[in-house]
Amino acid sequence: MYPPKFGYVIPDSIDEANEFLEKHEDAKALAGGHSLIPMLKLRILRPSYLVELKGLKDLHFIKREDGKIRIGALTTHYEIVKANLPLLSEAGATVADPQVRNMGTIGGVISHLDPAADYPASLIAMDAVVRIKGTRGEREEPFRDFAKDMFSPDLNPGELVKEVVIPDFKGYSFAYKKLERRAGDYAIVGVAVLLKKEAGIVKDVRIGLTAVNNKAVRATEAEKILLDRSPDEKLIEEAADKAMSYANPTSDIRGSAEYKKKMTKVMTKRALQDALKR
Amino acid sequence: MKVYEKDQKVKVTFKVNGKEMETEVEPRRLLVHVLRDLGFTGVHIGCDTSNCGACTVLLNGKSVKSCTLLAVEADNSEITTIEGLAKDGKLHPVQEAFWDKHALQCGYCTPGMIMQSVWLLKENPNPTEEEIREGISGNLCRCTGYQNIVEAIKTAAEKLRLDQPLYQRQ
Repeated sequence: MYPPKFGYVIPDSIDEANEFLEKHEDAKALAGGHSLIPMLKLRILRPSYLVELKGLKDLHFIKREDGKIRIGALTTHYEIVKANLPLLSEAGATVADPQVRNMGTIGGVISHLDPAADYPASLIAMDAVVRIKGTRGEREEPFRDFAKDMFSPDLNPGELVKEVVIPDFKGYSFAYKKLERRAGDYAIVGVAVLLKKEAGIVKDVRIGLTAVNNKAVRATEAEKILLDRSPDEKLIEEAADKAMSYANPTSDIRGSAEYKKKMTKVMTKRALQDALKR
Repeated sequence: MKVYEKDQKVKVTFKVNGKEMETEVEPRRLLVHVLRDLGFTGVHIGCDTSNCGACTVLLNGKSVKSCTLLAVEADNSEITTIEGLAKDGKLHPVQEAFWDKHALQCGYCTPGMIMQSVWLLKENPNPTEEEIREGISGNLCRCTGYQNIVEAIKTAAEKLRLDQPLYQRQ
């Protein structure tokens, strides 16, 4: 399979990339390319130009500063796994397969916003903030607003994701549980849990779900069941049951809506059990 | 900023198996096609959809699926293909282990499988069986059932560790 013909642009700075993409609305930014190139080969997309981002070193970093972790858009899944970040490193290790993780980037994932992608469950649970850059400067959006709908990030023409900022979640335990039908596939259900315990009592808990809605959601009512309590099996069961009510999946090759909904409960239970054990 | 129009060819320079090469490609050309045209036909096209891993090569030391990379993206990079593993007529330890353990039947997945194993053992010189299986999860083999491939990677890991001087062993 061959991609359709397109022009190719190698910018020297983010500004140049912003300007070119704003002027050519049918151009596409190329990061790791592991969603984009398959779509080109299937001729789902026919962009006028691809704008290569990989040379833009300002987008490629992980920085830890006062309680926050800043992750540049071009950071690959491989680098995220190696960096030992809360929750994201565990989620990153489940993305596709090793070769894809060597190329794919976090900025690419959230600019593409596949509803079954792995990071969104974690990003929504972590209250991640997305820093965006365009020709008129920079702005910040919470990830929950940035992800407007499936395949619909809050990006205006010419704008690019610059970095993702997460709190460092010191003292939290966490788990990401992914159900997949075959190795390397997208999630059938993905559940991310972050949890802070003091003397056996849950002081903060966040539950993020991916693949069971158009976009990732937080199961806030399920979180409330656990808050300020000392969770036993019964309480975990109750919370997992509540999390299931946040799942509105659609039937597809990966399973029926009914199956996915039930598995949301199972995976939430496993994620909570794991996070509580750690 | 460099701008190439869709019919314009781009000059690409890279090192393949240590040898400097220069070629001109359309922006839409995939790395796997360009490598094969340059004579590196050990790089196989399998599924062509970044699932099967038959096209795996090392790009600047990291394993990638060359069917999902544009040749222009590989400009100024170093590429290793299966043809670059043997040194002075002697097979690479991973190649030798695949031979010894009979880790192939039809052989179509083998170059990609070996390139991925080379990378895996560089990252993790002493992998558990589970880590080996996860490490080659991006490479499909439809003949062997993977058992002998896993055995071969274990054997290669031992050999590579023994080949290292004592003070470097993990």
